[in-house]
Amino acid sequence: MLSMKNINKVFKTDLVETHALRDFNLEVNEGEFVAVTGPSGSGKTTFLNIAGLLEGFTTGEFSLDGVNVSNLSDNHSAKVRNEKIGFIFQGFNLIPDLNLAENVEVPLRYRGMNASERKRRVESALEQVGLGARMKHLPTQLSGGQQQRVAIARALAGEPRFLLADEPTGNLDSLMARQVMELLENINQQGTTIIMVTHDPELARRAQRNIQIVDGQVCDFSMYQPAATGTR
Amino acid sequence: MFFYYCDLAWRSIRKTPMLSMLMVLAISIGIGITITTLNVYKTMSYNPAGDRSEVINSVQLWSQGLDTWDEFSSNMTYTDAMNLRNNNELSFKAATFRTGLAMQSDNPKIEPVLQSVRVTDRDFFKIFSVPFLYGSYWDVSVDERPAYQVVISQKLNLRFFEGKNSVGKTVFLDRKPYQIVGVIEDWNPQPKYYDPLNGAFNDAEEIFIPFSLTAQEEFDVWGNTSGWKFEPMLTYNDRLLSEKVWIQFWTELSNQEQKQSYLAWLTRYVEQQRTMGRFTDSAKTPSELVQISHVEKWLEDNNVVPKDTRILVGLSLLFLSVCLVNILGLLLTKFLKRAPEVGVRRAIGASRGQIFSQYMVEVSMIGFIGGVVGLLWAFGSLTALHAYFEVDQSLIGLDMSMWFITPLIAISTAVIAGIYPAWVVCRTKPSVYLKAQ
Repeated sequence: MLSMKNINKVFKTDLVETHALRDFNLEVNEGEFVAVTGPSGSGKTTFLNIAGLLEGFTTGEFSLDGVNVSNLSDNHSAKVRNEKIGFIFQGFNLIPDLNLAENVEVPLRYRGMNASERKRRVESALEQVGLGARMKHLPTQLSGGQQQRVAIARALAGEPRFLLADEPTGNLDSLMARQVMELLENINQQGTTIIMVTHDPELARRAQRNIQIVDGQVCDFSMYQPAATGTR
Repeated sequence: MFFYYCDLAWRSIRKTPMLSMLMVLAISIGIGITITTLNVYKTMSYNPAGDRSEVINSVQLWSQGLDTWDEFSSNMTYTDAMNLRNNNELSFKAATFRTGLAMQSDNPKIEPVLQSVRVTDRDFFKIFSVPFLYGSYWDVSVDERPAYQVVISQKLNLRFFEGKNSVGKTVFLDRKPYQIVGVIEDWNPQPKYYDPLNGAFNDAEEIFIPFSLTAQEEFDVWGNTSGWKFEPMLTYNDRLLSEKVWIQFWTELSNQEQKQSYLAWLTRYVEQQRTMGRFTDSAKTPSELVQISHVEKWLEDNNVVPKDTRILVGLSLLFLSVCLVNILGLLLTKFLKRAPEVGVRRAIGASRGQIFSQYMVEVSMIGFIGGVVGLLWAFGSLTALHAYFEVDQSLIGLDMSMWFITPLIAISTAVIAGIYPAWVVCRTKPSVYLKAQ
């Protein structure tokens, strides 16, 4: 479903070259729930931005759903993002002037969907995250957890093939984080592929697969000697 | 999507009322000033002759002596006017000047009015396509043999005869009875091209009487009389025989052939007059002493649109461009402030084109509001000009076309100012803002 081969991402300034990703390889299958962990500055967000077609990369090959998306035009990237990818951010990134229904509706607008279909999907998505009764509320009238649920609803409304979540619980307390995590698990069980970047090892453990990025590369766990296991 | 963008634009304007108001104010003041000057310029430079502009021609003669005036006068002497009137080569010709007479009727209840009067020939009505409500112009014989006949305006007809057909009735002009032969419909060409020297934006006269009465009635001249040498003017006859110029002369020349033929006739006329001791500017050949000007040239030669007005239009456009730069700055501030929102929209599927369109709709809306407010400014400025500076009424009426042109100019201005900020914001890299939020 998602395949990255030898991806390199270099940020260049006049003086410095920073290798955010180096020879990055990853395969994610349909329906998987993958947690991505790693220390700060390891390249997790860069990976997610490339996976979400928000950023290009310097060299390598990236295919999504079997289609090479390495050199898509801006318009084409936007279309793929709109139709196949859902985003969930740490800071929720809701548009404060729009009420919940309008926020959830935004990606559908760009898809050129008719009003009745939009309405149906918005209602369904908000119902799914338990906020069906608060469609006319503004984001500022909600708690952090609720706002994140709206962001999830916005991502779900487009019925994406996979969800990219960047620290989705980073701004939430543990109770709300657990609720959001349960929601993501439900969504995954319904068939949506999820890639989640997190710092929280407990959340990472709940994913089906766990990958760690260090210095812009996926760590090879096959070389890892679980010495600690023997001492237990 | 257009209506969606309109909705977003309206929300954005309401969200930052102060900034939006500043932008609307900047556009509206720029537009208000530009439209005010453009309106005055448009009114002044309008050619009321329309498609007859080439056909209607003024005749000018260089009757002045050597080293006197250095340009053709718009007027001519009575002698020349009479001689030109007697030339039978032309189909339509009219000598004309302005006088003033008191008009009254038999009805003692209606007070007399002092009126500006046009003294002219019957062809004046044909040349300038003056529309008639009742009756017509006087008979051709009246141009030869003076008769006390008059054509009055619809307005005077309403005042003196309650708007009924007054043809055949009598009015008194300076206590002399004149028979009404025609009533014209409202007719007030602006600029008053047949006599721009006496106020290019004054109203047209409402009384017209035969030129043939001039010598007999010794009408005062309510207009320019210019002379280039000393001539005693003890009697009215002195005026008629003098080299003073005070009469305009108009003809209708349908084509170039007619124009050339008439110019040739005028040249022969000047040659003939020279033998009688007139047209004494020996530095010029006879053909250089005659000129015929169609309406467009006539208006230009008479400076109906002064240079100052053109400069003013230029300055106002310059001011509008200063406003445009200010708006650009304000828009850049406003749009960049919303870059994080753009980042989100881009991330969830908006293309650059869609973002660009969204912001262009917003600037167009600001421009439209600015245009409407600008129209109010223009209307207020024109009214103030009329009230405080005694600018002619005809110049302060906001031209109908301006009501449509103004919003278009305002929207165009805003769009020009908005292109760069919208372009900058639509190129926002979504990833930069998504984490920062």
